[in-house]
Amino acid sequence: MSETIRVEVAAAQSAFTPVRLVLGGLGARLEFSVEQLDDLYLAAEHLFRAAIAAERLVRFGVDMRLEDGALRFAAGPFTSPALREQVKPAAPDAACLDLCRLLRTTCDDVQVLDNDGSYHVVLIKSQRTPA
Amino acid sequence: MTPHDEHRTSDPLDLEALPGRGRPLDDDEDAAPDGPRKPDTKGRGRDDSDKLDQYLLRRYHLYGDRKAREQLITMYLPLVRSLARRYASRGEHFDDLVQVGAIGLIKAIDRFDLERGVELTTYATPNIVGEIKRYFRDKGWSVRVPRGLQELNIRLNKVIDELVPRLQRSPTIKELAEAASATPEEVLEALESSQAYNSVSLQASPNGEGGEEDAGLIDYLGGEEEAYDTMEDRTTLAPGFAKLDKRERYILHLRFFEGLTQSQIAERVGISQMHVSRLIRRSLEKLREEIGELDNPQITRPSGADLK
Repeated sequence: MSETIRVEVAAAQSAFTPVRLVLGGLGARLEFSVEQLDDLYLAAEHLFRAAIAAERLVRFGVDMRLEDGALRFAAGPFTSPALREQVKPAAPDAACLDLCRLLRTTCDDVQVLDNDGSYHVVLIKSQRTPA
Repeated sequence: MTPHDEHRTSDPLDLEALPGRGRPLDDDEDAAPDGPRKPDTKGRGRDDSDKLDQYLLRRYHLYGDRKAREQLITMYLPLVRSLARRYASRGEHFDDLVQVGAIGLIKAIDRFDLERGVELTTYATPNIVGEIKRYFRDKGWSVRVPRGLQELNIRLNKVIDELVPRLQRSPTIKELAEAASATPEEVLEALESSQAYNSVSLQASPNGEGGEEDAGLIDYLGGEEEAYDTMEDRTTLAPGFAKLDKRERYILHLRFFEGLTQSQIAERVGISQMHVSRLIRRSLEKLREEIGELDNPQITRPSGADLK
């Protein structure tokens, strides 16, 4: 299934509900557990907040789709070096609970995809993740 | 000689002279909130209990003995649990209600007037119940959520608690929907609606003040696993972690540094997966408040020197 759902919401915490609902619907199709969904919500919310703070966004856009038994959440486009830095993996033994650690603990993969001077942050959550 | 002296025994510090001295109530010993307490199997009757209460209250109020205060809190936690149990069917986690009720207990102990001649049980019970009721009132829905969704949300919490041990894993949305006699869409909407539910900080000082001597409520509650103290130092040194209580640090450590799932943490800590989820969110919010954005690399990524 390669259907992509594009959701764009105001860059405010209270506006995140539609994103969570779409995530939940897609996750339910993959038979995600409540716990897997909760992880995904947590990751998406923290990325959302970080992006708003780093990019001074007015609108937040995200593409969501199911791909090979996984849910792909691609937020952007972004241009802020600060957000890119926050998503970049820290040293493995770093004693910090930052955005990077949070995303990489709750998702199976975190990618930064460049495109014409901007980039997207992609979160991938697999149906196979035990929970 | 203080005005309180006339209420004192010949030697108020002579704990040995008190029958049933110092034995806290057992955890499962259900204190009767509305009536006289029963004599216990070790022969300590109501009079003995009252004497012990009075002794400890004097120790605390006249001599500032905080150990006496702690013993009173320990002794009366079964009363808190008993009262909290009455409200446990209203969709809130029992542990949370006990913690909130304990605020009422601590307030009652702190405000108890030795000269009024009432039992601590009599004075504490309305304080505890009042605190629990206030919790329900303050923790109302911050946005209008249809009653049906609110009720489904409450039902889902119970269903999840039932399904996790049966399935030995977190249930799927479809399984939840079947168990709750709802559609998957309704389940998702109800779970989403829980975002509109306020939460209160259980870390707040019981008396609402922030002095160093004010222990957080959590310090009085729940068994502290030895494991809490065996976390790797690097975790406890993480920025902002010092502001979290031991259980919160332990849970974040297990989730984000050890990679355990919520269910695995729930099993290890002895609480439900949903409760773990809530504690993780609450702890992350506290970290955010303490150190600013979690996402600021300059704040949250300490240098090597900071870790030594």
